[in-house]
Amino acid sequence: MAKRKRDSHRSSSGLTRRRLLATGAASAIVAAAMPLRRSYAAEEVVYATWGGSWEEAIRKAWFDPFTKKTGIAVKTVTGPDYGKIRAMVKANHTEWDVAEVNPDFQWIGPREGLVEPIDYEIVDKSVLLPETDFITPYSVPEAIWSKTMVYNTKKFSLEDHPKSWKEFWDLKRFPGKRTLYSKVTGGALELALMADGVPHDELYPIDVERALKSLDKIKDEVIWYDTNAQAVDIMANERAVLASMPDGRALFAIGQGAPLAIEYNESQLDWTSFVVPKGAPNRAGAMKLIAYMASIEGQAAIALAYTYGPVTPKAYNLIPPERARILSGGPQQRGKYVLVNNRWWGENRDKVSERFDAWRLS
Amino acid sequence: MPGGSAEVIGRRRSRGAAGSSDPDAASARKRAALVLPALVFILVLFVYPLLSLIGTSFDDHGGGLSLAQYSRAIGTPVYTKILVKTLWVSAAVTALCFSLGYPLAYALSTARGLLKSALLFAVLMPFWTNLLVRAYGWIVALHPHGLVNSALLATGLIREPIPLVYNTTGMLIGMTQIMLPYMTLPLSAAMERMDLRLIHASRSLGASAPRTFLHVFFPLTLPGVFAGALLVFVLCLGFFVIPALLGGRSDILIAQLINYNLTTTLNWSFAAALSTILLVTTLGIYLIAHRWFRLGMLWGERA
Repeated sequence: MAKRKRDSHRSSSGLTRRRLLATGAASAIVAAAMPLRRSYAAEEVVYATWGGSWEEAIRKAWFDPFTKKTGIAVKTVTGPDYGKIRAMVKANHTEWDVAEVNPDFQWIGPREGLVEPIDYEIVDKSVLLPETDFITPYSVPEAIWSKTMVYNTKKFSLEDHPKSWKEFWDLKRFPGKRTLYSKVTGGALELALMADGVPHDELYPIDVERALKSLDKIKDEVIWYDTNAQAVDIMANERAVLASMPDGRALFAIGQGAPLAIEYNESQLDWTSFVVPKGAPNRAGAMKLIAYMASIEGQAAIALAYTYGPVTPKAYNLIPPERARILSGGPQQRGKYVLVNNRWWGENRDKVSERFDAWRLS
Repeated sequence: MPGGSAEVIGRRRSRGAAGSSDPDAASARKRAALVLPALVFILVLFVYPLLSLIGTSFDDHGGGLSLAQYSRAIGTPVYTKILVKTLWVSAAVTALCFSLGYPLAYALSTARGLLKSALLFAVLMPFWTNLLVRAYGWIVALHPHGLVNSALLATGLIREPIPLVYNTTGMLIGMTQIMLPYMTLPLSAAMERMDLRLIHASRSLGASAPRTFLHVFFPLTLPGVFAGALLVFVLCLGFFVIPALLGGRSDILIAQLINYNLTTTLNWSFAAALSTILLVTTLGIYLIAHRWFRLGMLWGERA
């Protein structure tokens, strides 16, 4: 039988060869197209991130496990600025499914019609921290971060360093340059009010004139930084001896051997949020990814990878205490922080920013 | 890029004017066809965006036209202050680049061999280094315990470190270094093109060296001076990284404001109005300069 088959092959060898070639070519094309087709057909979520070491952390803590669990790939792009979201939405060509943003966008986004409502059937609201304005119909909190007072340990000691913004403002007792964030939303106005004796629960609405008058008292000693990396540089290289800067950046610098320490009293607690840009190509996938990232499990994973704090209180059950102590909003900070009123900022930034610039120029 | 096309179009027009005697009209048409791709390029990528920018600045967010953004920009003192500051800083950087670049360009145009290569390398070097790296380099050099202050302290010239960074001084130093090649290269090109026999003639007719420089050499380099100054000035108007990194509290330039409105507050109409005001101001300055200094020479116009 085998022989006969071989014979029949031989008898129609021309045809067979042609067929063989054709089949071969076709299968080669299919084989070549397979990975292409698969990656095209497989579900993908495009995530706009701030990038850098943060991006590496969220890839490991969130995206890799998420892809393993759901089969949905996550592609990242960097630079989620509001202007880009608006440009994409206006052009009717949205490329991002999820973007991480500052919380003022929770109000700017819906006002400008740039975001999709969140599907709370998929995202579990009940595990999230119930702070005011943390959760909106258009945004889910991503992580907690904070700006703390940071001081140079060569210049000031653990016992004798500024422990409140009132003392930070005391140029005689604690001489030297200070560094503050140059954007109006960077917290300087709130700090100036606390230094001037305004109680924590009366900071908002901000009395801008009073804050600026208070800033006048130290303005000649302030170096204004524009990016957090700059703040690290200024403090680590001792161009200033006091700062208000993100705790995570300070911890990083301390880890690198910079002579710095953190004072948690009167720190400013802030957060970041997830939004889904209007017209996102994979809205369903976006909701699934957000649900994963904002879950107790997802929040614990990122807290182990990066020093931002979890937005789900129960995540602390999964975090060792020595780790918890260095997270934003962790036990070391409880009762010592002031929450930034991002709603007020979302509504008033334009006007206040104009006034702040006028002050800077005066 | 618009300058380049202006040159092409200008040259074509002047030929066309003389071209009534041109026997070959078809070749003129062919030449016109050669310009076409550039023209389309400019129209699509420059003229259209520019018009839509100006349109945005009048947008009232309801489909109508409004002057609200302009009255805000002109009616609020902080914006006029920032605009004036931007123009002032650009002019200062231009002047600094001129005073540093002129001798440098002379050295460059007269040097030969290895020295010339070394000089050219030094001039072009900044182009190959990242802007941020250069900015941080300046911070390291200029801060109170930095290179410059340490050196000055060691020589006893100063007793206290002088504030050279995180203020207007730092910003001007940083911008000048970045802009210097834009001044030096057109200047040295003008110097190299010069007919040296004119200098020899002036000297042999008894003019002193300073007199020759003032009345012969310098006037002949003017097109280079204007080209360089214009490039530096206009590029400075759009700076925002250096002021943010090296400047101080009051060093806000208009580009920073435009960027902020574009990417953070999403007030595009206002950003467009500020851009349009900057554009109109720049064109105004250009026209005045054109009248006074015949800038048209740069584009091959006849004096």
